[in-house]
Amino acid sequence: MENAVELDEIKNLWAESNRNLEASMRLNSILMQQSNLRKTETSLQSLARSIALEVIVNVIGVVLIGVFISSNLNEPRFIVPAALIDIYFIALIVAGARQLAELRGIDYDEPVVAIQTRLERLRLRRIWTTLATLLFAPLMWVPFMIVGLRAVFGADAYAGGAAWLAGNVLFGLAVIPVAIFLARRYGSRLAASKPMRALADSIAGHSLKSAMDSLDSIRRFEEC
Amino acid sequence: MNGVASHDAFVELVNGHRGILFRIARAYCRNEDDREDLIAETIAQLWSAFARFDGRSSFPTWMYRVAVNVAIAFVRKDVRKRRYVAPGGEGVLERIAASEERAEDERLDLLYELIDDLAPLDRALMLLYLDEYPHVEIAAILGITETNVATKIGRIKERFRRSVAAGGAL
Repeated sequence: MENAVELDEIKNLWAESNRNLEASMRLNSILMQQSNLRKTETSLQSLARSIALEVIVNVIGVVLIGVFISSNLNEPRFIVPAALIDIYFIALIVAGARQLAELRGIDYDEPVVAIQTRLERLRLRRIWTTLATLLFAPLMWVPFMIVGLRAVFGADAYAGGAAWLAGNVLFGLAVIPVAIFLARRYGSRLAASKPMRALADSIAGHSLKSAMDSLDSIRRFEEC
Repeated sequence: MNGVASHDAFVELVNGHRGILFRIARAYCRNEDDREDLIAETIAQLWSAFARFDGRSSFPTWMYRVAVNVAIAFVRKDVRKRRYVAPGGEGVLERIAASEERAEDERLDLLYELIDDLAPLDRALMLLYLDEYPHVEIAAILGITETNVATKIGRIKERFRRSVAAGGAL
């Protein structure tokens, strides 16, 4: 086959290669044993486990904040920041529950376009949750500090004065654009650490763009 | 079917159509470790879905659908990849004979390069086409219309022809 090739020839080449591959390889029989198959966790099961863990941690957060609120019922200045933290945790629980529901609807034996669309939507949902968590975290710094100081040390963060609290709020606000700038500028240098790179990509919006591009390419594939 | 009979049937069916796993792994992963991981992940996924296999489609068609779904999810860069070692420490695959690919190696590499250039969904379409699945089955596996399958195959063929013409040979 020198300068041109017919597609039938490609098919023959492909079939011959497949026959050779099948004749030369087999699946490890130990891997196929029933006990080992039962023990093997798929990546979807592993993802479901980690989302469930996140939900459990956030539920524990809600319970702890509930205990804090109940023991500070007569002090609205502590209840307000605690309620903000509660809302933050509840929003994360709702996001986690929606992800788990979406994940439960994914069966790999369904048509490819439908499953890949669901996987991309789930990915998009996870990226939005990560993004919202990371960007809201600096804003939640002050409520966490007020509640934390009170709960752990019995201290009153308001004693520092309004200027001190305002300074902390401004610090939290300033962290957000700085984090976005650093992630966009230096995120690509974090290739050695996959989790850090993933975090930087989320903050910089790269993961979001990539997921949206993937969804778009699936939509285009569906169209003629 | 009881557990043992179901497991025996699963092993027999998967072994009988193991070529699907090899072809998809080769088309979606460049290095050997990733291929083995993808095959292990696909087998785990096939086993977990096997109870739902109701025979409405043939086993290879069902297996292809699961395997392509796993492969596309696997190659997405955010999917968690694990170095998989079979119990006992061996690899997922066992070589039972020397491959007879010789003179064709170079042409096959080029064919895989052409396939590799395709987007993941187009790649699945091309694999099914090369494996001589009828359009109606390709449409069912991918979840698109038969007309869409025919149009896309035509476009991919044309792209292949252009690549071959530009590259000089396959």
